[in-house]
Amino acid sequence: MSLTLNILVDGIAYGMILFIIAVGLSVTMGLMRVINLAHGGFALIGGAFAHWLTMAQGVGFWVALPLAILGTVLVALPLERLLYRRIYGFGELQQVLATIGITFLMIATVNLWLGSSLLQIRLPEGLGQPVDLGFRTLPMHRIVVIGAGLAVMAGLWLVLDRTGFGMRLRAAVDNRATAASLGIDTGRIFALAFCLGAGLAAFGGILGAELLPVDAYYPLRYMVLFLIVVAVGGMGSILGSFAAALGLGILETASRYLVPDFGTIFFFACVIALLALRPRGLMGRLT
Amino acid sequence: MTESLTLPLPERLARVPFLAEALLLAIAAAMFFLLPYSLGFLTRVLILMVLVLSIDLLLGFAGIATLGQAAMYGAGAYAAGLFAIHVWADPLAGLVVGAAAGAALALLSGLVLMRAQGLTLIMLTIAVAQICMEIANKARGVTGGSDGLRGIRMDPVLGLFEFDFIGQTGYWYALAVLAAVFLLLRLVTRSAFGLSLRGIHDSPARMTAIGTPVYGRRVAAYALAGAIAGIAGALTAQVTQLVSPEVFAFTLSAEALIMLVLGGTGRLIGGIIGVAIFMTVHHTAAAHDPFNWLFVIGAMVLGVVFFVPGGLVSLPARLRGLMGRAL
Amino acid sequence: MKTPFRVALSAAVIAASGTMVSADTIKVGVIATFSGPFAIYGKQYREAIEVYVAEHGTTAGDHEIEFIYKDVGGVNPDTARALAQELLIRDRVDYLAGFTFTPNALAVAPLIDQSETPTVIFNAATSSINKQSEFYVRTSYTLWQVTEPLARWAWDAGIRTVATTVSDYGPGIDAENAFRTSFTALGGEVVDSVRMPLSTTDFTPFMQRVRDIEPDALYTFLPGGPPTFGFAKTYNENGLAEAGIRFLGTAETEEVNLQGLGDAAIGLTTAYHYSGAHDSDLNRQFSARLAEMFPGSVANWSSVGAYDGTHLIYEMVRAAGSDGPAAIEHAKTLAWESPRGPVEMDPETRTVIQNVYIRQVERDAASGLLVNREQGVIATVGDLGWDR
Repeated sequence: MSLTLNILVDGIAYGMILFIIAVGLSVTMGLMRVINLAHGGFALIGGAFAHWLTMAQGVGFWVALPLAILGTVLVALPLERLLYRRIYGFGELQQVLATIGITFLMIATVNLWLGSSLLQIRLPEGLGQPVDLGFRTLPMHRIVVIGAGLAVMAGLWLVLDRTGFGMRLRAAVDNRATAASLGIDTGRIFALAFCLGAGLAAFGGILGAELLPVDAYYPLRYMVLFLIVVAVGGMGSILGSFAAALGLGILETASRYLVPDFGTIFFFACVIALLALRPRGLMGRLT
Repeated sequence: MTESLTLPLPERLARVPFLAEALLLAIAAAMFFLLPYSLGFLTRVLILMVLVLSIDLLLGFAGIATLGQAAMYGAGAYAAGLFAIHVWADPLAGLVVGAAAGAALALLSGLVLMRAQGLTLIMLTIAVAQICMEIANKARGVTGGSDGLRGIRMDPVLGLFEFDFIGQTGYWYALAVLAAVFLLLRLVTRSAFGLSLRGIHDSPARMTAIGTPVYGRRVAAYALAGAIAGIAGALTAQVTQLVSPEVFAFTLSAEALIMLVLGGTGRLIGGIIGVAIFMTVHHTAAAHDPFNWLFVIGAMVLGVVFFVPGGLVSLPARLRGLMGRAL
Repeated sequence: MKTPFRVALSAAVIAASGTMVSADTIKVGVIATFSGPFAIYGKQYREAIEVYVAEHGTTAGDHEIEFIYKDVGGVNPDTARALAQELLIRDRVDYLAGFTFTPNALAVAPLIDQSETPTVIFNAATSSINKQSEFYVRTSYTLWQVTEPLARWAWDAGIRTVATTVSDYGPGIDAENAFRTSFTALGGEVVDSVRMPLSTTDFTPFMQRVRDIEPDALYTFLPGGPPTFGFAKTYNENGLAEAGIRFLGTAETEEVNLQGLGDAAIGLTTAYHYSGAHDSDLNRQFSARLAEMFPGSVANWSSVGAYDGTHLIYEMVRAAGSDGPAAIEHAKTLAWESPRGPVEMDPETRTVIQNVYIRQVERDAASGLLVNREQGVIATVGDLGWDR
């Protein structure tokens, strides 16, 4: 019983991090049809800003978090205007090549700025404290992560379901040409959605730094992990990403508890089985 | 005939069969004499060309996207290494074993993978390579685990040419294998099978409608590409005399794909050019500044994709187009 | 003594290039990771080499010494071999150095054997590497060298049951075997052995598992870098220390990432050959010069491996110039004072004999920083894994 609870608690905390980072990727892939391999780069940029703010500038974590997200969005916006706008029109292979080129430049820049070692983010005292759950303790920080994941899920649902922006965004996802012909400014929608995705990546990167430590090579190290979440969830589906991230988080955690020696093989075998059975992902919109 | 004489010179040259190939072969031979001290590096380039050709067959001809070709490359490397240690240290026999291992793995995994498309297919190919890597790591008794499979000592090629310290034999050997693979692929891509692959690439639905077994052809192409990747892996095992689980690494698959797209897909020569340019730039930049060469690679990749989207192989045509307009 | 191979090669090179390198210049090729996720190793090596050069000048005996750095990127035996070939043939280096990963070091064995090139290993810690060629010398350590003394110390400290958790790759498994063999030989019991996938990001499951078993202590081995950082943090967050399960490690509290662990690291016990807080003038001088030349840099075990390796190269060059076999023979006789303490080259295993210290993390009163405070020498040993 306590084993099941352990798996659930740790798996959900891990899955929430995956969700926060990957959901932006899923939205941009579904909406702009861009295979944005540089998505993890925005998590890196967020983490780098947070590291610099908390360690070198002595800014408190709760102030540094929004500042770092803002900084990342400010990097993302000109990138969208100058590069991505043209990348949308490329073929798939050219998109892969272009976004990996951007990833390389992001890594090289952070590497030059802050070096290649671990970019630690100083957490406030409270987040490091263990909290007693009755059957075990859990660091406060994991509880915050779970809460943040749920908040992101709820926030996205509200924005997409209840606002004009969300309506236009959904229209553009379903059919870009029709949406444009109806007078929706798809260019602006794209820019906003892109910045939202980058900001979420930064948020997840900073919050998840305890589990997925940030260093200059972060985007390459976790690229496969984020892509798996999107593929299993189905491109463009927020609910799918949520289900996939939690499912994969729990799956990986369970494999660590139950078959630690064969965890990696077990995890990827499950991914293959899932994708073979549901090639469009759990809730994929695209054919 | 007379019509071709009226064409401008470049177009006429383009019609000479195997002219570009002969030119490349001449360059490769010249490199041997121009850079006699970098044969180790040059041999590595040739081996990567074999690997990239295998991806071009998949991506450029059959339209099968993969980020896991390292799975077959690694299978070939381990098979050839183990074969040399335990059975027979003949290099050519090792190549055959490597090709068989690559083909077998591709056939087995292809039966499942070739039913998928797009991102799903890409993720499946990655997952297969990751599992292979973990198996190589776990099966320590057989593979040496993460310390690497060591003790590979090859016999002379054809019983005549000893592998030497400077890497001369290794270079000519790899070049010969590359040339053979290139010729083979040239034949295959111009055969009925190759044409049906192109048809599948362009329109799977139409090919199904005219009765082509699309799934079967895709599996066959995947297995053939697997065999070629296996040959590349076998070469690497024989030349390096050591195989580590990193032969299955995602970064290798990804870099090979970058090189291919950089050079241009769907024309075998594109992959060759892509590898040559990528590796030269990488090598020069890394020698110049071992810390920050990634800037150069990133800028090059972006530059090519923005200014020569068809890959470097399309550069001459593009330049001609620009000049034609200017005139 | 020049081998026919070398003579032929030199003649060919001179004839071909037309430029003759000054006979007085001895080149050292450093093959390490300067880019990629493990770039920190290359950085530490290079900085330590440059500190040594700043202290001792660019000449050894009658010879000018020049270092050439090559980036191998990561675990990449193909590239390591090609780079070594290029260094030996084109740049005509007389010594090779660096090598963070075992496969990279192993890949050059046939080359250094044939060219009789002394090769100084700054890090790779698998015992069997040195068996592949007479020309390897190692200034780092081996897994057995630090693990067996730790097992002995644990037994003496009253620890009877241990769970081992190691990363699932060659060095991790070697470490697990070393600990198990040493500890059970003393009468201790290894109650659980977990091998954690290298790609692990969340170590909580392993910590919970160990917590449920309630051993006296937890022994661990992980590769340096971000994963290790997560492991030590997770140990604390899951309250293993409060549950009375002691932490036994080696490189987990290394200096570069130590401050990042925060107060939670206080009390972690490790056995290792180098601590940044080693109490000696030489060490203080080394650390100070490193920080002065490279602001923000912190010395760790890979720095000291490279620093001592450079010393070894200088001594070999001084005694034997470019004569590889003679240089190796000379290296086998050397003993010197290192920032880590006294060291001596073991002529049989060609790995240094050195002190292994038991250390505990504490906050230094003067600087306010976390340090690995040495509690004493628990052994002075060479490579204990040589005959295993």
